[in-house]
Amino acid sequence: MSNVKEMKATARPKAGKGAARATRRSGRVPGVIYGEKLTPLTISLDMAEITHRIYAGHFLTTVYDLDVDGQKTRVIPRAFQLDPVKDRPIHVDFQRLGQGTTVRVHIPVKFVNHDGAPGLKRGGTLNIVRHTVEFWCPAEKIPESITADLGGMDIGNSLHISKIPLPDGIRPVIRDRDFTVATVVSSSGYIEEQLLAKQKAEADAAAAAAATAATAAAPAEGAVPAEGAVPAEGAAPAAAPKADAKK
Amino acid sequence: MLQPSRTKFRKAFKGRIHGRATSGNELAFGQFGLKTVEPDRITARQIEAARRAITRHMKRAGRVWVNIFPDVPISKKPTEVRMGKGKGQPEYWAARVKPGRILFEVDGVDEATAREAMRLAAGKLPVRTRFIARIV
Repeated sequence: MSNVKEMKATARPKAGKGAARATRRSGRVPGVIYGEKLTPLTISLDMAEITHRIYAGHFLTTVYDLDVDGQKTRVIPRAFQLDPVKDRPIHVDFQRLGQGTTVRVHIPVKFVNHDGAPGLKRGGTLNIVRHTVEFWCPAEKIPESITADLGGMDIGNSLHISKIPLPDGIRPVIRDRDFTVATVVSSSGYIEEQLLAKQKAEADAAAAAAATAATAAAPAEGAVPAEGAVPAEGAAPAAAPKADAKK
Repeated sequence: MLQPSRTKFRKAFKGRIHGRATSGNELAFGQFGLKTVEPDRITARQIEAARRAITRHMKRAGRVWVNIFPDVPISKKPTEVRMGKGKGQPEYWAARVKPGRILFEVDGVDEATAREAMRLAAGKLPVRTRFIARIV
């Protein structure tokens, strides 16, 4: 369950990209607090602190008491933007939380019992369809993650949301269908090997067919083949490049 | 090698690669990825070489996604041909990438294996890259 953490912020007077850029130039990260039908409040945060918190994990599922110049506000981070090249935070959104608020949050899925999945033992790989699942949760009871058991999963099997035990009080946002969370599939290397093997088999079959046709055609040309005759003269060179090609 | 099955036009303008990647700059499928920090053209051969380096290092385990596609025909004049007389014939295909673009993604392997696979792949590419991991 989420425990409330503290973070410091400073109010910034101006909104807009010019002010946001000025904030970034001064080594801070611009952000905003909105929600609860109050006026949005523009803030700035310490770059090192927010970077550390984002990369520490579970940032979007943790509730914070944000200290904005001495005034504390209970918030949940709703989004963060990273610089596409430097991977530094460039903006953070926070939503105010009132008493008894229910929020939509993406909860990470934790996969366990890899050893109990015969498909993974046979060389299959876990294809995670959803790394996170969106839930409606009470703000004070946001789970850190949900646990999905992979026991008994073979290649080609799927794990649906209905098979994952959920903590009390949370429900998936998608409720009209039993959506897939993960599947066990063949690995990329295995698929590639299969494809190469198939191509080789086809080339072998074609070469064999050509050789058979050549040997079948040879007696027809002359009923009694003379000694030293080359009945498969045309066939042999035709077959040889194919045999090379398959390699 | 990757190339389009059919194209509307046979030849393309050279173009310039400006700006940063506004799409394809986050991990979409896998747990780990390789991100370019430079703009450049990446040829189909380079993509294939990098992909092979990844799959071979991962030894059949895990999954690999190639997030870029070489859809730009690059033309070239034959050797010892004087300038003029029109544009050369298409020689190969390339993908234009902007800084921040995710090139490859992998999943189903541990971080050390993924990191080494991506290092080997990066050696086949004409751009400086960074290894990135999904933020949970």
